[in-house]
Amino acid sequence: MKKLNIFAVIVTLLFGLNATAEAQITDKPEFGKFAITGATIHTVTNGTIESGIILIDGEEIAFVGENARITNEYTRIDASGKHVYPGFIDGWSGLGLVEISAVPVTVDNAELGQFNPHMYAFTAFNPHSASIPVTRVSGVTTVLSHPSSGSIAGKAAVMDLWGYSPDSMAVKKSGALVMNLPSSSGGGWWDDRSEEEIKKQYEQNLKEINDFLDKARFYDQMMKEYESDPSDKTKPDYDPRMEAMREVLAGDVPVVISVNDEKEILDAIDWIKDNDDMNFIFEGVREGWRVAEEIAETGVPVLTTTLYTPSRDYDNYQRPYQNPGLMAQAGVKVAVVSDDIENSRNTPFEAGYAATYGMGVEEALKAVTIYPAEIFGVADRLGSLEAGKQANLFIADGDPFEPMTNIEQVFIKGYKIPMVSRHIQLYQEFLDRDAVNE
Amino acid sequence: MTKLITLCLILAFSTTAYAQEKGSVLIQNATVITVTNGDLEETDVLIRDGVIREIGKDLNAPRGVETVDATGKFVMPGIIDAHSHLNGVDINEARNPVTAEVTMEESVDPNEVGIYHALAGGATTIHLMHGSANVIGGQGETLKLRYGVSQEEMKFENAKRTIKFALGENPTRVHGQGNGVQPRTRMGVEQVVRGHFDEALDYKRKREAYLEAKAQYDRRGRGTPPVPVAENLRYEVLNDIIEGEIFVHCHSYRADEILMLMRVFNDYGIENYTFQHANEAFKVANELAKNGAMTSVFSDWWAYKFEVYYSTAYNASILNANGVVNSINSDNDQLLRTLNHEAAKVVRYGDTSVNDAIKMITLHPAIQLGIDDRVGSIEEGKHGDVVVWDGHPLSIYSKAEMTFVDGTKYFDLANDPDDMRIQINPGTDFDDGSNFRKIVDNRDEDACIQDTFILLQDQAQTHAHN
Amino acid sequence: MQGVFAQTTPAHALKNVTIHHADGSTTESATIVWRNGVIEAIGINAAIPFDAFEIDGGDSLHVYPGFIDGFSTLGSPSLPKSQDLPKLDDPGNPPYYRSGVQPERKPSELLTEDKNFEAIMKVGFTTAALYPDGYMLPGQVEAFYLSSSHNNVGLIKGPLGLAGSFDTAPGGWSSGAYPSTLMGVMAKFRQVMFDATALQQHIKYYEQNPEMPAPDRDRVLEAMFPLVNNSTPLFFEVDSKEHIERILKIQDEFGFNVVIVSGKEAYAKADELKRRNIPVLAGIDFTDMPKWYAEMKKEEEKDEAEVEQEEEAAEEEEISEEEQNYREKQLEAWKAEVTNIKKLMDSGVSVGFSSAGLELKDLSAKIEILLDEGGLTETDLVTLMSANTANILGLNRTHGSLERGKNASFSVFDKAMTEEKAKVLHSISNGIIHEFNGN
Repeated sequence: MKKLNIFAVIVTLLFGLNATAEAQITDKPEFGKFAITGATIHTVTNGTIESGIILIDGEEIAFVGENARITNEYTRIDASGKHVYPGFIDGWSGLGLVEISAVPVTVDNAELGQFNPHMYAFTAFNPHSASIPVTRVSGVTTVLSHPSSGSIAGKAAVMDLWGYSPDSMAVKKSGALVMNLPSSSGGGWWDDRSEEEIKKQYEQNLKEINDFLDKARFYDQMMKEYESDPSDKTKPDYDPRMEAMREVLAGDVPVVISVNDEKEILDAIDWIKDNDDMNFIFEGVREGWRVAEEIAETGVPVLTTTLYTPSRDYDNYQRPYQNPGLMAQAGVKVAVVSDDIENSRNTPFEAGYAATYGMGVEEALKAVTIYPAEIFGVADRLGSLEAGKQANLFIADGDPFEPMTNIEQVFIKGYKIPMVSRHIQLYQEFLDRDAVNE
Repeated sequence: MTKLITLCLILAFSTTAYAQEKGSVLIQNATVITVTNGDLEETDVLIRDGVIREIGKDLNAPRGVETVDATGKFVMPGIIDAHSHLNGVDINEARNPVTAEVTMEESVDPNEVGIYHALAGGATTIHLMHGSANVIGGQGETLKLRYGVSQEEMKFENAKRTIKFALGENPTRVHGQGNGVQPRTRMGVEQVVRGHFDEALDYKRKREAYLEAKAQYDRRGRGTPPVPVAENLRYEVLNDIIEGEIFVHCHSYRADEILMLMRVFNDYGIENYTFQHANEAFKVANELAKNGAMTSVFSDWWAYKFEVYYSTAYNASILNANGVVNSINSDNDQLLRTLNHEAAKVVRYGDTSVNDAIKMITLHPAIQLGIDDRVGSIEEGKHGDVVVWDGHPLSIYSKAEMTFVDGTKYFDLANDPDDMRIQINPGTDFDDGSNFRKIVDNRDEDACIQDTFILLQDQAQTHAHN
Repeated sequence: MQGVFAQTTPAHALKNVTIHHADGSTTESATIVWRNGVIEAIGINAAIPFDAFEIDGGDSLHVYPGFIDGFSTLGSPSLPKSQDLPKLDDPGNPPYYRSGVQPERKPSELLTEDKNFEAIMKVGFTTAALYPDGYMLPGQVEAFYLSSSHNNVGLIKGPLGLAGSFDTAPGGWSSGAYPSTLMGVMAKFRQVMFDATALQQHIKYYEQNPEMPAPDRDRVLEAMFPLVNNSTPLFFEVDSKEHIERILKIQDEFGFNVVIVSGKEAYAKADELKRRNIPVLAGIDFTDMPKWYAEMKKEEEKDEAEVEQEEEAAEEEEISEEEQNYREKQLEAWKAEVTNIKKLMDSGVSVGFSSAGLELKDLSAKIEILLDEGGLTETDLVTLMSANTANILGLNRTHGSLERGKNASFSVFDKAMTEEKAKVLHSISNGIIHEFNGN
């Protein structure tokens, strides 16, 4: 057993932890004007700048480029030898809605009932979740937090991970509508319904969804007519569910559908043809590689992960890793997500696997930055390092896809956030637990 | 109608190709990560009949031994996962709080295709464990991932015996809440352990007395014969634990329950044990080190249950810095395939060196399984369980190219057929849903609780994928 | 079912029939004479005694030795459903019957009404080794001659052994008990053997020394004594190679004889089984032929004109390489299943027959597969279901073949058994005639 060398530990504490050693849970962020100099800047949309300059002014990026005159109001941050990236966007997470999965009273992502388009993740999003600081210090600065239950679960919200209220953190309150189409292919080996039963249940569930959408369309039409000229009409009753569907039917809020195996994907592709008043996004899509061209033809973007076991007994073990790349090569816009809650911070590693197995680093980087921004309609503010966009970015000592890389400093909405989280706090307290102050 | 198939079966894969052999191979000119002796550049590793015979530069290839040119590549010991349920027929005999008599040795499925997937991820040995439903669960079995051999031939010969204990939420929910049987609280958990140890010691006394009296009576043929005491499997195993013949691996989370078990084990003189998961072990690193207790943890899982809400990804680094022998495990079929990157995370979360992180998936799990004299590092005399990587194994961009177990190549990226099933069910058609496996991804929290229904109820809706 | 033939004559003679013997030979225009359930004479020139009632087979009937089902739950009381079992207070220490440990049960004491008695006779069976349906140690195995009514099903010999399997305790999630896993069953089995050993020792000591504390007598443990003493075999129902390995391991620990029942993958352990002299009462409940393969075979049987028409009409069905590879493996696995018995026979393992859960309506289809794809001839089949099974059950002195002095158990078919739509007209079981007349 190694004998604990107190001296070595103290030295480590003081010098080894870099920025994290100093931060406390009560530290305030800095805000104002910053000049980050000397780093390799990965803009995502405009190439890479070796040893460039980023100027942050308030909430926005004021400048990205090779040279700039930096005036005195700018606090300089020397990032020589480091790398700057746009804050990563996790396009599919339960962060903020679930605190502890096994404790039901902390779980707020699953309302009762089948049709709940009027449930907003934004409402239940807990800005003080212990998981949020844990996530943001890893460079994931924005997530789409989504509800999950029933046929229409509610509306997912795009949330920045800095702030004290959902209002200040929301990038988009109605990021997407979450819909669950029934599965036409059964539940796998543990599902012992007969083929006929599966088909019947599928058709029944689908009919319920179709009926609901028809009613929603009617409501929208009816309300439009009333609103255009209320003069000689009785006002129809307000229906919160139907009202919530109107922006979706107008195509302003996309619908996320979770589909995974080949049959499910093809059935969904068929179904959306009849529902072309809405915009769609596919999520999961584990067998997307089998029908990549069909997906590409629809123009529907995809949210997917890589770190799972193959879906079929006879699939090559690499398929999950290759899936995003194969779809991207066929022309699908693929965002890599975590599909996680408290470990949304692992989004970059999911992307790293996609990069290694065919997607390539450049496309994989887009998959966690500009693509999810575009998919959820927030690309005017997020997803790349461009002047005028929101200052969501981080400084790392290497490639953020690499697990060994340290994320040294994160900015969200221009705030230079204290690099603290429960995990870091516990590290500081317990690395040398029995130390006393001299 | 096109002839769909010829009746001459041309099968690419035959199980006999992977028969358990001790193989020989010369791997040349790699960066050899020895774990115990630094990284050796441009170095060869010679394996003869399953054993590493020589490590050095420009070794001669003996006649008939295949050579692998590993210029620019890395060679590392095969990854050892100290906590897996990859190929168990069943995981939890959850009907009683103490089931020391059952053993995963008799629950091995050698045909699980996930074994091959794990080889592709650079793993060569796993500790197949009983689940965490019981305070004292079943015995484990250390297996080498020899895909294609029989269940008997998968066993890691002469590995130390191990057994599973579990503290905290899992046993109290399964037995206390689920069946109305103690333990329902952490207080009860302690007494279940102590009570059974005491019963076992009483049994031992009585059984030995009976056997002695029986021998005497049978020999002499007179006097009063003893009342027979039946051999009791459960108590025999519990006594083996007390006598140090079985390494204990205890599923635990909270710091206070970790302290409790150390207290109990000190009372009964049990010295060799590893706390599994142990998310709060970092809070009692000193006590662990002092007692010689070891830990086997996740790199970054937390918050899925209350008992892991106050934990940190820096757990491994804290333990390592305080002198605790720590390993990183998967407890998950998917993580098992990416343990190299789980170890890499330890470098990020804290001040652990790259070599120390690598130890956590090689030498340290070997120590915890009592096999470190044979595997866990690349040293002459150890088993030829090595993996050739096309880049540094802790880089996300690296792939395992070849995996050797006992010098026999079980995985080769250049010759990696899609369909690697051994066990074919002829009643399942190509696009039959029953071919579709239960997807295991990062979020399959606490695989330890399979075969018990009670915990599924709460987890049902919180993380629905579809 | 009223028989035309009187049962009250002293003896019977069936003449002018083709007899298919257990060893594969046939005798045409032969005669069988039987009295009091025993064959008195058999052959072409068998003399018909004065008091034997003659039946003329008209040279169109075929006689086969009565088939023997080596392991069946006919007449067994049905098992209670999981939801009907009361929840246990202490699932870890259940009473024996809740664990599935019931070695004391005898089918002869439990026989109930079962319409399959008659149904199985209608397909040529006259004799069966029965055991009570259950779980890991469901009861004892006894041999019976069959009859339509369970009241007339008669015990020939028993117990032949104990029945066993790796089935876990009944009750499912809510009312389950220990053992609920494979490893639990194995541990439980060992513990029951140890407890029985101790009890036997205690009883022995007590008999010599009545002043010592009395043993706790226990029907269940005492029923295990023959197994503890290796004086009776264990009939163990297993299929996979791995399960067979597990029961062999238990055999090594305790030393009793084993008979493998069903044994679908037994061919993979043929050498080991031969070495240990372990017979297999093979099941034939194979997986259905893969659909695509069945279609392909139908194609081959069509004539050319039809095929051409279809080719024009039908679309080209493209099979991906992935699916093609899948089909190859699937077919190989299926063929391995159906050739199991042939392979066992070829390697010298003693193979008999057991229905092992096969539904009767599927029997002829499975037999057809055995003959078409399984590599067996009709002769093999007859031998399998008669002489071989009798040998394994230890009934060969009286059953399993048609010879003078052996039991009069045989079936009368209207044509050769393997011809299409062959039916059993009469079944003679222990000398008693059961008439079906093609019903």
